[in-house]
Amino acid sequence: MTRYIIRRIISVIPTLIGVTFVIFMFQRLIPGDPAIAMLGEHATDESIERIREQFGLNRPPFLDREALAEGDLAGFFDSQYINYMARLSRLDLGDSIHRRIPVLETLKLRFPATVELSLLSMIIAIMVGIPVGIISASRRNSLIDSVAMVGSLVGVSMPIFWLGLMEIMLFAVILQWLPAGARLSTGFEIEGITHLYLVDSLITGNWAGFKDALSHLILPAIALATIPMGIIARMTRSSMLDVLQEDYIRTARAKGLGGRKVLFRHALKNAALPVVTIIGLQAGTLLAGAVLTETIFSWPGIGRWVYDAILGRDYPIVQGGTLLIALIFVGVNLIVDILYALLDPRIRYK
Amino acid sequence: MSQINPEDFTVTDFAVREHRSLWGDAWRRLISSNTARLGMFIVVLFIFSAAFSHYFWEYEPKKDLDYSLKLKAPNLVVTEEIPSIHPFGTDKLGRDIFRRVVHGGWNSLRVGIVAVGISLFFGGIIGLLTGFYESTTMTTVERIVLYGITGFLLGMLSAWIANQFLQLVVFTVIGILAGYFEGLWAGKYYRVIFFGVLGALLSFGLALFTGLSVALICGSLGLLAGLLLSVTLDGRFFSNVMMRVMDMILSFPGYLLAIAIVAFLGPGLSKGMIAIGVVGIPVYARLTRSAVLSVVHKEYILAAHSVGESHGRIIFRHITPNILSPIIVQTTMGLANAILSAAALGFLGLGAIPPEPEWGAMLGDSYRYLTSGAWWAVLFPGLAIMLSVLGFNLLGDGLRDALDPKLRL
Repeated sequence: MTRYIIRRIISVIPTLIGVTFVIFMFQRLIPGDPAIAMLGEHATDESIERIREQFGLNRPPFLDREALAEGDLAGFFDSQYINYMARLSRLDLGDSIHRRIPVLETLKLRFPATVELSLLSMIIAIMVGIPVGIISASRRNSLIDSVAMVGSLVGVSMPIFWLGLMEIMLFAVILQWLPAGARLSTGFEIEGITHLYLVDSLITGNWAGFKDALSHLILPAIALATIPMGIIARMTRSSMLDVLQEDYIRTARAKGLGGRKVLFRHALKNAALPVVTIIGLQAGTLLAGAVLTETIFSWPGIGRWVYDAILGRDYPIVQGGTLLIALIFVGVNLIVDILYALLDPRIRYK
Repeated sequence: MSQINPEDFTVTDFAVREHRSLWGDAWRRLISSNTARLGMFIVVLFIFSAAFSHYFWEYEPKKDLDYSLKLKAPNLVVTEEIPSIHPFGTDKLGRDIFRRVVHGGWNSLRVGIVAVGISLFFGGIIGLLTGFYESTTMTTVERIVLYGITGFLLGMLSAWIANQFLQLVVFTVIGILAGYFEGLWAGKYYRVIFFGVLGALLSFGLALFTGLSVALICGSLGLLAGLLLSVTLDGRFFSNVMMRVMDMILSFPGYLLAIAIVAFLGPGLSKGMIAIGVVGIPVYARLTRSAVLSVVHKEYILAAHSVGESHGRIIFRHITPNILSPIIVQTTMGLANAILSAAALGFLGLGAIPPEPEWGAMLGDSYRYLTSGAWWAVLFPGLAIMLSVLGFNLLGDGLRDALDPKLRL
């Protein structure tokens, strides 16, 4: 088991190197010169040259073969990618081109917003998806089952940006029950401890702040939760149906155990593994979906930030944000894989 | 009545039954399901309306403009104020939304089909090759090709550093030699030394023409390449490398990678197709590979091997037809996903270029007018996206039940 875990962790290393490689390529491949993006169209040639010098943009992207041909071994390795990796190892993500503030600092502020949104969405998706799946499975081929399964398929098919817009129209414009965007109304302030506003306001006992933060969270969280909700419901149903056909379920029923007890004690426990896996895998979907949801709800998270940065050619932000998202994605996949091996002894890994 | 005539009986010969093919059976199961029928209806409706409007209902997005009809609510009767019928209302430029939604279907379906085609083609080939060779011994020719390609790839770095095309040739030749003489000193350490030294010396010697430090670097790269080529490369090695590459693509959240690819290629419908297609490759590669692995040890494949059929023939004549069902299901659902991703890209302004009607772009165009009450400009394009995606998903679901009753997701 330990050997499997170590092997799995080592297997992540090439993936991570590849990820940094691709992220670095973004900057090189996206058309437009970062120095011009920094200085504007009317910059003089000398100032462009100075900026290129200052940020090391005049160095070759990967390796400098001209320097090597002249016998300069240090110059050979003095390239943008290697320098980027060196900075990365010091946790230096560079400064934003337009705002001139360190990317890491903004990341620290913006990341909790995305985490809060994704976590709440995940909680909603689990709280709705699993019960729906259990009910569908226990009444297979009934009307409830068909309705629930078509409903969850509608959820999976939902363009979440459109759902978000419809929510805004209904709840914010027509009914005016909930706000249409941002994390807090103007005038509210929440002391930052974890920067998760719901948690912070509870810790400090800021009840009004909690209510306000929650009212801002509900609509985007529901929009973001629809697709995972549908997927979890369908997975729970199919996994439960598999388990319900097993002999030990028949034995339990034959012993005279009540339907509910069999369902929850015997079936759900054994059906949980694939469901847990799919929940883990949805984390990545949530982070990616956050780009759309955050755009619509003016949510100050990393998804929207990265998207704005791509449009504004703010490369350090694009690199830093994508790197973080990709790291989380890889990390979650790793944890899911290890959990799977830990939880299910039937899976024999070589 | 007590008299029984042999003619009164209908005799059933159970040995001769109505011929039912696998696909016929699947088709019968498919149309017996209500949800699959609904999905098929939606899909056919969208395909038909898109194709029909594209060929028979001319529309020129660039000339469609009428400010006097800006943001009018849906109307079904002609009034004095609005002289034409707009069942879905009009958008910010006074364009009929119904017409644009119908025409937008052509673009969305095209994106879906081309993107899935790209993913399926590359993913399918990768999956077939990795799955097959992972569990089959390669023939000499195949091994030489694998070694040659590996050598070629390893040589690219040295060739670039020394700026010598010859390096590439040398490495490829070393690869081919290593592949051809695979049995030479197999498992002995002097095979490793031989190829390591061969690579190092040749690369060093060639690069010496450029300079000493270049030669040193190239020499050490040659040593590494020679060492790698001296070990046994087989299908498992190939499969591992390919799957790690697929993992790498998979480790980026889909939208983000698609956005990045579009940012690199520039916006536009065709770029969106490529982006969505590339992002989808690993899904099909993994699916195909696992499907291949599940049939490759079956008796009929062994039989094909033992009568001496070629590997290509086994892959295409025996394996491919038997792994079609999961791939068909995934393709149908992949179409749904591709349409959804295309709409998301369009919404973010990275898909179709503005006057072109595309559902996501239409949403992105009009959502700012939502607060002023123009709900129709957002509702109908979005409904079109959702319904078409739902249609493909329902159909895919039905296909899964029909093609493989054991799989229930």
